[in-house]
Amino acid sequence: MPPLHCGYLSQYTHHHLVAFLLTFFSYVLLHASRKTFSNVKVSISAQWTPSPQNGSAPPYSPGETWEDNHLFADEKQATLFLGALDSIFLFSYAVGLYLSGVIGDRVNLRYVLCFGLCGSAAVEFVFGTLTEWLKIYNIYLYCVLWVLNGLLQSAVWPCVVAVMGNWFGKTGRGFVFGLWSACASVGNILGAFLASSVLKYGYEYAFLVTSVVQFAGGVVVFFGLLTSPKEVGLSLESETGLSPVETDTDSHRPLMSDEEDEVEVYGTRYDSVQQPEEPVDEPPRAIGFCQAFCLPGVLPYSLAYACLKLVNYSFFFWLPFYLSNNYGWKEAEADRLSVWYDVGGIIGGTVQGLVSDFMGKRAPVLAISLALAMGALVGYSRSPNDQVINAVLLAVTGFFIGGPSNMISSAISADLGRQEALRGSQEALATVTGIVDGTGSIGAAGGQYLVSLIESKLGWMRVFYFFIVMTGGSIVFITPLLIKEVRAMWRDRHALRRQL
Amino acid sequence: MKAGCSQLQPVVLILIFNLCFYGSFQLTGPQVCELCGGSVLNGSEVGKFCASSAGRINGRCCFQNNNTYGPERIIGLDLSNCSLTHVEDLQEASKALMIDLSLNPLVNISDAVFQGFIELNHMILPQEIFCPGGNTSWEKVEVNEGNRICQGQKDVCNQTGQLSIECPENSLCGPYGPGFFECSCAENYHGYKCLREGEFPALQVFGPLGASTVVLSFLLWFTQRRKVKPL
Repeated sequence: MPPLHCGYLSQYTHHHLVAFLLTFFSYVLLHASRKTFSNVKVSISAQWTPSPQNGSAPPYSPGETWEDNHLFADEKQATLFLGALDSIFLFSYAVGLYLSGVIGDRVNLRYVLCFGLCGSAAVEFVFGTLTEWLKIYNIYLYCVLWVLNGLLQSAVWPCVVAVMGNWFGKTGRGFVFGLWSACASVGNILGAFLASSVLKYGYEYAFLVTSVVQFAGGVVVFFGLLTSPKEVGLSLESETGLSPVETDTDSHRPLMSDEEDEVEVYGTRYDSVQQPEEPVDEPPRAIGFCQAFCLPGVLPYSLAYACLKLVNYSFFFWLPFYLSNNYGWKEAEADRLSVWYDVGGIIGGTVQGLVSDFMGKRAPVLAISLALAMGALVGYSRSPNDQVINAVLLAVTGFFIGGPSNMISSAISADLGRQEALRGSQEALATVTGIVDGTGSIGAAGGQYLVSLIESKLGWMRVFYFFIVMTGGSIVFITPLLIKEVRAMWRDRHALRRQL
Repeated sequence: MKAGCSQLQPVVLILIFNLCFYGSFQLTGPQVCELCGGSVLNGSEVGKFCASSAGRINGRCCFQNNNTYGPERIIGLDLSNCSLTHVEDLQEASKALMIDLSLNPLVNISDAVFQGFIELNHMILPQEIFCPGGNTSWEKVEVNEGNRICQGQKDVCNQTGQLSIECPENSLCGPYGPGFFECSCAENYHGYKCLREGEFPALQVFGPLGASTVVLSFLLWFTQRRKVKPL
C-alpha cells in the first residue's frame, strides 16, 4: 500500500488508485476516439468528394487522383452528412445508455466495460480504416456503423461511473469524482494530439491508431480492473464511508435526497447515520429501469443535465467553428484556444466537487455555479476580438458550465445510484448513471440540430441567448432539490445551535 | 500487417491488369494500326521519321523496341489518306512522337483525343483542322500544301502570360498532351488528392504499444486480480 500523504486520501489503497486510473483512462481513450472523428472531418470530406472546379476550367488530370470519388458532389454536402453522423451517434448513444446501464447492473461490469471498449474500437476500425483500404464508400454502411458505435460506446460510461462509485464512498466523492471527471477533457486533448500527429499519413491511420489504442485499453481493463472492493475482500463502507474529515452527522446522509419524500414513497425509515453495507455474501439484486427512473432526484437531475449537456456539447462541437467563423482566426489557432474551455471545466469540476463535499450538499453549489454561468455566457458572447481575453472568458465559462456538467454526470449520478432508498437493491449505479447521461445525450443530440438551425437563421448572438435560456432551464429543474436541501441545511443548523 | 496488404493490393491488381491487357495486345496487335489498309509509305513523313529512328513498320504504325523491357511502343502513326470522318480513340498510340492525319475528310477532332499524348511533337492534319490545344500549345504551326503542321508541343505549365495553372496543394503541374496538364503528387505525397505524406511507421507505433499492453496487463493482473475470489 503506497503511503499517501494527505489525510483526506489515507483511506485509499493501491487498489483504489488502479481502479481510479483504469476507469479514468478507459473514458479518456473513448473520448479521444470521439475527438479524432471531429478532427479528421476535413480530410474525410476531401476523400469523399471530387476536386472543386473553378468555373469553366477543365477538371484536374489524372482522374483517379482528383475526380474519382463521388460519394458527395462537394464538401458542403459531405459536411452536412458528417453533422448528421454526429446526431445519429448521439441519439444511438443516448438510447444505448438507457440499455447498457441496466445490463451493467446485471452482468459483470468488467465484461461490459471491456466489451464496450473493444467492440467500439473494432467498429471504428471498420468505419475509418477498413472502408478506406477497400475503397468502400457507402453512406448507409457509415450510418449503420456509427449507430453501432454509439450503442457500444454507451456501455462504457455507466460502467466506469459504477466502478468508481463502488470504490469511492460518498464522503470524498465530490472531489475524487471532480478530479476523475476531467477524463472527458483529457480525452479531448489526447485525441486532438493523436489525430494531428498521424493525420499526415491519411485519415485512416488516425482511426487505426485511436482504435488500436482503445482496443489495447480494453485488454488491460480486462486483466487489471477490480470492479468492486468486494472482489479482493475489502468492504465498501468500512474503507471509504466514514471519513475522519467530516464529523458532521449530515455528511453521512445521501446528499441529494430528502427524508419526507423517502418516508412517503418508499416507506424506508431514514437514519441519520448510514448503516454499513449489506453483508458481502448476499448477492445484491439489480434495480428495474422504471424503478430507477422514479428514484428521488433522478428525474430532475436528468432533465437539468439534458439542458446543461446541450450547452456543454455545443461548445465541444461548435467552438472551433465559431471562433474561426466569428473572429476569422485560423483553424489551428481556434483549436488551440478551445482547449481553455476544457481546462476551465476540469478545474471547475474539481473545485466545485470539493466545495460540495465540505458543504455536504451538491444542489446549492450547482445552482450558484449555473447562475454565474449565465453571466459568463453573456460576457463571452460580448468578448472582444482578442485571443487572450477570449481565452480567459472561455476558461471562466468552462469553469461554470463544464464544472456542474461534470459533477452531475459523475459525482451526483453516483450519489443517486447509491442512495438510502436503495438499501434492498444495491445494483442501481450503472442504471441510474445511464438514465442521467442518456437523457443528457438526448438533449445534446437535439441541441446540435437546434444550434445549427439558430445559427443559420438568426446568427451567433441568438445562439448564446439560447444557451443562456438552457442554463436557466437546468436551474429551474434543480430548484425543487435546491429548496429541499437548503431547508434541510437550515434545520440542521438550527438543531445544532439548539444543542449547543 | 494490414497496412502491407493495402499496399500489396494495387500491385496485384496492376499485375492482373497487365497480364490481361498485354495478353490480348500480343495476340491481335494494336487496333489503331489497322484503322485502314496499307502500311506506312517509305516516302511519307512518318516513314522517313521511322527510318531515321530505326523503327519497325507494321501496318499504319511505326514501332520501336526500347530494348530494356516491356512491349514495343508506337512512336509514329500514319493515318493519312484513310477516309476517316472522325477520330475518337487513339489511346494505343499515346506514346507516339508523330501522327499524320492528313488527306482525311475530317470535320473536327476533339482536343480530348490527344489527352495524355505527352511526347507528341509533330502532327500533320488536314488544313481545316486546328492544332489540338490551339496554336498556343505549339512552338510552330504552318500550313503547307493543304496540310496543317503542328510542331513542338509546348509545356502548358511553364507558360507565362497564359492563365496561370495552379495545381492543388501537394501536387505539381506536368504536361499531359497538347493543351492539357496533369497534377501529379509532389515528392513524398501520394493517394487520392495527394493528401497522404510518407508511409505510416506501423512497426514503430504498434510494436511498443503491443509490448506495453502485454506488460501492463500482466502487471495489473498480478497486483490486482490474482487473488480475486469468485463472488
